[in-house]
Amino acid sequence: MTAPPDDVIALDTVSLRYRLAKHRIPSFKEYAVHWMRGALVYEELWALTDVSLRVGRGESVGVIGRNGAGKSTLLKVISRVLDPTRGRLALEGSVVPMLELGAGFDLELTGLENVYLNALLLGRSRAEVDAARDAIIEFTGLGDFIRAPIRNYSSGMLARLGFSVATAWVPDILVVDEVLGVGDAWFSQRSKARLRDIRAAGATLLLVSHSPEAILASCERCVWLDKGQVRRDGDAKTVLDEYLAFVNRS
Amino acid sequence: MRELFRYRDLIGALVARDLKVRYRRSAIGFLWTMLHPLMMMLVLSFVFSHLFRFDVVNYPVYALSGIVFWNFFSQAITASMNSLRGNAGLLTKLPVPKAVFPLATVLAGLVNLACAVVPLVAIMIFTNHPLSASLVLLPFGMLIAACFTLGVGLLLSPLAAFFTDTVEMVGILLSLLMYLTPVFYPLSIVPDYLRWIVVLNPVRWVLEVFRLPIHAGVVPTGLEMVVAAAIALAALGIGAAVFRATSHRIALYL
Repeated sequence: MTAPPDDVIALDTVSLRYRLAKHRIPSFKEYAVHWMRGALVYEELWALTDVSLRVGRGESVGVIGRNGAGKSTLLKVISRVLDPTRGRLALEGSVVPMLELGAGFDLELTGLENVYLNALLLGRSRAEVDAARDAIIEFTGLGDFIRAPIRNYSSGMLARLGFSVATAWVPDILVVDEVLGVGDAWFSQRSKARLRDIRAAGATLLLVSHSPEAILASCERCVWLDKGQVRRDGDAKTVLDEYLAFVNRS
Repeated sequence: MRELFRYRDLIGALVARDLKVRYRRSAIGFLWTMLHPLMMMLVLSFVFSHLFRFDVVNYPVYALSGIVFWNFFSQAITASMNSLRGNAGLLTKLPVPKAVFPLATVLAGLVNLACAVVPLVAIMIFTNHPLSASLVLLPFGMLIAACFTLGVGLLLSPLAAFFTDTVEMVGILLSLLMYLTPVFYPLSIVPDYLRWIVVLNPVRWVLEVFRLPIHAGVVPTGLEMVVAAAIALAALGIGAAVFRATSHRIALYL
């Protein structure tokens, strides 16, 4: 399946199954014992069932839903961290996932060394990082701390570093999981401005948040996930109102 | 493959980090890592020249070259198995090709093996062991060893992600395998009825291609080189195929 001309994300009846910790067989020994008893049954959890979704180039889509509705799993599938158990996923262009700021940071290394490590993990080459490093350092606003091991950083400083690296290049698709508003008020302003710039440059944004305000602020469209399925998909204001009414009722 | 090539700078950075961590712990970090094999060599030399005698010309060189090979092999495999779980935090958050981690682990081990040649040659000079021209084949032996080890690492590391006790189990199997491989004893002392096991042991073929140019000072025969290369490539092929087939499920289990 190829995405239609203007769709950069196309999910076609995507389902994802976790085999749950309760009955996941963590060791060989237990596996062998269960296998011999013929009792190899798995407790299955379908985090996503038959999710179909199309997102056009340059669109900004918010994803809302209660805990366990499958929001993070959906972002992981679109980020290609998890492969769908069933169904198909087509992507057009590069994806930068911001599922957790600083995923892959090494506490023993300095801020600058982590800038390199993190950018390389995102698929950048050393030459690209060399060219962008001064701008990245400037954006973090960490000053001389950039040469200190990050084990001495506060959580706000770590988030600033992670955000600065992840957004240093304009991706085709930016996937964000509840990481906005990190750091102090000053950095929060800068990161919002940076996201606006990225969207203005034509990137597609996918944003998971529990905060309707955050979604309304940057998305015109919203998808409401419930029990692993798309419950509503449409204009952000309408979907959020419906979602809030539903939450208040139950 | 193409994806791994795209991430070559990342692989380089991971190897550099691995080496830095290993050697930074102390100012004499490198000496520390060589101290263990050298101590082993001294103990084994004492045991086998005073307690149980067997006939090996310049036993210290025989033992040391066996030990550095074995340490590379067993440490790289154990580290490959731990590499996926150790990086679980980022493998569940970023779409990095997972083979990057076992690959970087084995490459770092290979750099260590190359470094171990320095004290090895020092011992050869110290014991008046002839430095034969066959030593130019050393890189070939190391390459075979690296391909073989990477293959085994790729085969076992997904298993270690799925089952937490894999590392312990492989640890036991590795120590058994060490006794089935002529690491510190010569093949000649193995009784006939057991010898076929040791002869057929694929690790032995890989070890011999590495050690013959060092200890015996000879070029391995064509047959020895071809068999060792075939074993290494078969291991790499199987390991890569298993890793490919299972890697999309790894993130679900971490």
